[in-house]
Amino acid sequence: MQRLNRDAVIAIVLLMACGIFFWSTFSIRTPDYGQLKPSTWPRVIIAVLALLSTLYLVQSLRHGPAAVDERDKDDGPARAPGLIGWVLYWRNPLWCFGLFFAYLITLPILGSLIGGVLFVFTLMGVLGGWSPRQLMQHAALALISVGGMWCIFTFALGVLLPPGEVFSPF
Amino acid sequence: MILENIGLAFAEITNVTTLSLMLIGVAGGLIAGAIPGFTIAMAVVLTLPFTFGMPAPQGLATMVSVLVGGLSGGLMAGILTGIPGTPSSVATTFDGFPMARKGEPGLALGIGVWSSFSGGMISAVLLVTLAPQLARIGLEFNPWDYFMLVMFALTITASLSGRSLTKGLIAGAVGLLARTVGEDEAVGMARLNFGNDALLQGFDFIAVLIGLFAFSQLLRDVRDPENAKKSLAEKGTIHAKIEHRRAIRVILKHWTVVVRSALIGVFTGILPGAGGSIANILAYDQAKKASKHPEKFGTGIAEGIIAPESSNNAVEGGALIVLMALGIPGDVTAAVMLGALLIHDVVPSPTFIAEEPVLAYSIFIAFFLATFMMLGLQSFMLRIFVLVTKIRMYMLAGIILGFCGIGVFAINNVEFDLWTLLWFGILGFVMRQFGFPLVPMILGVVLGNIAELNLARAMAITTDLSPFVTRPWSLFFLIIAVFSAVYPLFQAHRGLRIWTLFYQPAVCVAAAVPLFMMGGIPRPILATLLAGYGLWTLYRRWQGGWNLEALSQPVVSE
Repeated sequence: MQRLNRDAVIAIVLLMACGIFFWSTFSIRTPDYGQLKPSTWPRVIIAVLALLSTLYLVQSLRHGPAAVDERDKDDGPARAPGLIGWVLYWRNPLWCFGLFFAYLITLPILGSLIGGVLFVFTLMGVLGGWSPRQLMQHAALALISVGGMWCIFTFALGVLLPPGEVFSPF
Repeated sequence: MILENIGLAFAEITNVTTLSLMLIGVAGGLIAGAIPGFTIAMAVVLTLPFTFGMPAPQGLATMVSVLVGGLSGGLMAGILTGIPGTPSSVATTFDGFPMARKGEPGLALGIGVWSSFSGGMISAVLLVTLAPQLARIGLEFNPWDYFMLVMFALTITASLSGRSLTKGLIAGAVGLLARTVGEDEAVGMARLNFGNDALLQGFDFIAVLIGLFAFSQLLRDVRDPENAKKSLAEKGTIHAKIEHRRAIRVILKHWTVVVRSALIGVFTGILPGAGGSIANILAYDQAKKASKHPEKFGTGIAEGIIAPESSNNAVEGGALIVLMALGIPGDVTAAVMLGALLIHDVVPSPTFIAEEPVLAYSIFIAFFLATFMMLGLQSFMLRIFVLVTKIRMYMLAGIILGFCGIGVFAINNVEFDLWTLLWFGILGFVMRQFGFPLVPMILGVVLGNIAELNLARAMAITTDLSPFVTRPWSLFFLIIAVFSAVYPLFQAHRGLRIWTLFYQPAVCVAAAVPLFMMGGIPRPILATLLAGYGLWTLYRRWQGGWNLEALSQPVVSE
């Protein structure tokens, strides 16, 4: 996507978000006391944000494709066109987000120790590789790092981390 | 009284547990600072969950130690591999790496270490002496002044931290908006939660900080699959022994560079939004301009290492001065320190040093002690650094993300904070990709409630808005906020447009007005000097026929 389109799209998304948030401020209840209504400050911020977003939209439309900034470009090989190219280009961050999402979803069942070890082990595998040597390395690193942190928080700092349904019977 | 407080604070800090934690903190900071892609702010943010269970002085001393270690760690990578460990040590590589390649890595490291130490000590002395004085000025602030101070902090941060002021201001506004979600602190009404009960508690700002800063940075570091599999420093490291004696002699010979650079560092730290990444380049540039042999800069000379290393270690002293005196964090690391104070139910304000002297002086003493520890640990950590450089980036990312998954939960023992981490991690990553600076957003999140509470207090006193422009301090912050907003435009047009010739004189004259209004004796004198300087500059430019070349000097930028 060209810079012109991209910046304009971001500005439009921001303006839409401003609209949604502004609409949401009407459901904020106003108490009988206090001079500053609870909705005033968010509305001021939304108004400023909308103004800045409009300015950003105008700037992006005025500058055109020539405004592409070389410093904004990422390192590494160029991205292949199409959805598959996009997914391949961003696969590592997508894996990180996806696996962290899975970690959070399974947290009530697996708990932070088992879930954490599995998360770190799987993440290292998808980012680094699955050779037998790497599997051993990743398993050891995941166990030592997450296990160590779990011990510090549980025993030294007295924090009750989620035990999970799998771990709690023990 | 001061000596008594120092004595009590010293007793609070100097116990085996705290000193051990500080040693670990300095060592961890040195390693974190030495790893390219792992910023000091990230190290300090990730230390925060470990300090929850500690008493306030102990927790804060540990965090200060990580900070001091991190500030000095960047020089190892910069000098030995040519890759700056942190943005604060970019200028160190200009002369440090060439000196190491000329066969003197031990001397280069020694100069770097002792410059860091000297800069840290000068900054620590200024922290102890200036923070209480600034706090006294802070006592004059009313809600209008505080509100405008926050607006100034956000504006200057937006104008300094990115290439586009509009994007910086948008980021700051998004941060402010994010902080309004949940029950408002003044009257307890639910806001912008879209009917979701989990959002009523709002976003915990430590989870937001870790998500925006650490999570998103790690994802950026592993974005390229090939780079993710590389070791942290592919160029390899040189085994070197730090030459302390020779380095001390060199430092003493160039003591003026040390003092000047440290003062630049402290001043940059005091300025909201301008951190070590700007200070080290600014100090390098000034050292080059003041040098009798500027042509030698970049070839591996001592002044080229002394200037950036003295200044980047002095920066945090400056940032802590403002944080402890006014409760306003100037950069991300100071914002995390504010978070640490809030966790321990301490709210920094102008009365903080007077009301919590032992805690305040504990922070000062921790800063001093950590600087000494840094000096002692550098030689040992150099060996560890060689081992750390063999770790692959994806492994580090995996371990840190795993830590985030455990540490963030520990903040409030609620799962919602982990979701906050994920969503703000995604938001931070997307914002970085689209060129939005994160620092204004982080300050927006941190300062949002301070701004709103002061606005509410001001409105409770009077609904009249005129005090924002009639109160001297409020007007002062408003004026410098406006000029700082115009600053990026000035930078872009300086030496090209006539109006840029009026910018500096206008700043001086305009800032003099509220200083006059403050009354007393010193401030009107300062105002007269400031206005006189502005008018004199204008007169010289008029005499020079409005010559634009006077302004067309190279601009130091991040």
